[in-house]
Amino acid sequence: MSEQQVGADPDAVVSSEFTELASDERIAAAAAALERNGIQPLLAATGADARVLVDSLLVDGAEVYNNTSQTLEAIGVADDIERSGRYQPLRLRLYRMDREMQRREMRTLAASPDYVVGSVHALTEDGSLLIASASGSQLGPLVSGAGRVILVVGAQKIVSDVATGLRRIYEYCYPLEDARARRAYGVPSGVNNILIINKVLAAGRVTAIIVKERLGF
Amino acid sequence: MSMFDYDARPVTPGVVLVGTPTSRGGYAIRDFLSRNGYPFEWVDAGQPDAVRAVLGVAEMEPSALPLCILPDGSRLASATVEQVAAGLGMVAAPSRSEYDLTIVGAGPAGLAAAVNAASEGLRTVVAEAVAPGGQAGTTSMIENYLGFPNGISGSELATRATVQARRFGAELLLARPLVDISADGPGYVAELSDGTPIRGRAVLFASGVEWRRLDVPGVDDLLGAGVYYGAGPSEALACTDSQVVVVGGGNSAGQAVVRFSRYAQHVTLLVRGHDLGASMSQYLIDQVSAIPNADVRVRTRVVGLEADDRLRAVIVRSGDNAEPVPLPADALFICIGGAPRTDGAAGIGLVTNTAGYLITGRDVAREPGSNWPLPREPLPLETNLPGVFAAGDVRCGSVKRCSAAIGEGSMAVALVHRRLAEVGGE
Repeated sequence: MSEQQVGADPDAVVSSEFTELASDERIAAAAAALERNGIQPLLAATGADARVLVDSLLVDGAEVYNNTSQTLEAIGVADDIERSGRYQPLRLRLYRMDREMQRREMRTLAASPDYVVGSVHALTEDGSLLIASASGSQLGPLVSGAGRVILVVGAQKIVSDVATGLRRIYEYCYPLEDARARRAYGVPSGVNNILIINKVLAAGRVTAIIVKERLGF
Repeated sequence: MSMFDYDARPVTPGVVLVGTPTSRGGYAIRDFLSRNGYPFEWVDAGQPDAVRAVLGVAEMEPSALPLCILPDGSRLASATVEQVAAGLGMVAAPSRSEYDLTIVGAGPAGLAAAVNAASEGLRTVVAEAVAPGGQAGTTSMIENYLGFPNGISGSELATRATVQARRFGAELLLARPLVDISADGPGYVAELSDGTPIRGRAVLFASGVEWRRLDVPGVDDLLGAGVYYGAGPSEALACTDSQVVVVGGGNSAGQAVVRFSRYAQHVTLLVRGHDLGASMSQYLIDQVSAIPNADVRVRTRVVGLEADDRLRAVIVRSGDNAEPVPLPADALFICIGGAPRTDGAAGIGLVTNTAGYLITGRDVAREPGSNWPLPREPLPLETNLPGVFAAGDVRCGSVKRCSAAIGEGSMAVALVHRRLAEVGGE
């Protein structure tokens, strides 16, 4: 992103094009496409149902990294991972490490969790997942580092194609995320890295739970 | 999903601790949370904006400090470590009425014993006064432990061992020290500080050592206000751009220098002896020597402290006849050997050497007053009480190294099996 874009007004008006829930037909089409692309699709009527599904997919005692996600926070999954005591929450383990002395341990630990749980910025009707990241730290485990990947996707994130998905990231997600990052961390965000998952070869490694609710952004 | 995974900070509410930087109680809670791996936000009560951000008011009644806000929003005024531990759900009751093995202490020896005992099917419980890891848990980087060519931090080693022990079914009871132990048929009942009894058919003391007190006037008054025992991982960030003094000649002192030199403007290591070679591993000596913002003063003692509301200088005397001189210091970390932690064991008659370390094995017979009751000799690592074993730093004659403690803890389990076979039921 250009410097001008990185410094965008956090109060910028964002497009309403990307906030409407997809119809049941589009959801079904996206789910079928995900399956064709090697990604296990699951459907949840509500965030609460999605929370139960995530819990059923995680194994007690596993090392779980929850990506920063408004979606996961909204439906209680972040709390389940960090506070329930059922899993080893890597986020807490990493946070307490000494940035000077344990940098190597942090890097290796964050790169290969048993599970990573997160969300996406767009899901196309032909089954591609788009994820943007300022730091890029979340993307490696999604592609290959994590043993299993669970993504929770609000149905408003379904778009027609990759080009529209990219537009969703730049025009809709980024201004909101930039404002959030400035509030939360005092630093701007940026679309510095974009991951597009078109197909997954390892069967069963990636699960996408499509929720028929507007979750996250 | 957020685009920004900033610093891996937890996304759910954590603990917020409001206090003064020089508060002993505040330091105790910071140290406890840090050593237990519990993320927390520290708010200096002297910073009105920061206080207002978390409490909605700019000032706090000094009597309410330290104030601890728990993740569920409840507040503990004048908080203590015990209250915080209980509020965070860290204080669990034993799940069984009896165990095969009670382990006292969750340092390297205790955790190694827990992993081995539980993995072999023994009903195992570990009672730990503060946090898993013991002294090694506060070590910044252990570089000579087998299998970790790039080193492993003490906290990470403890975390992994704790997970491993729990995975095999061992129970860990944290945040309560042992206060008493008594005979119970062929076994023993251990009592924790909150009155919790633990009945075990065998007991392993792996309680390690605590830092030896520095006998200098004013030290106790300044604890938490610039003076700390051990390498205080919770204080590393607070040492940024400051003058740090470390006292001690062992590996713990060396590792403290390595850690704090990453943050501090300058670190001075004070050593009583003529050189470091007698007590510090060569790899650490090499590392300390290569740190540009650290220096080592041998044949140097701390003889006094200068302070107002916190430490300002350490008064040192070098050599035999030199005059005492002040060494400006914002923080003093005392890492001078250890004193065995055998609290709670005195009443039952465990035999120790003059320094308080538990005597085991064949040495028991040589101790007057050991009153060994069985026709067989004590097993290696067995104290003068049949079925009570000792491993690691607390044991007389042990090698004071992490790997040695882990070896002894593992070895003790085989001996526990022999004892349990002797008293039946195995």
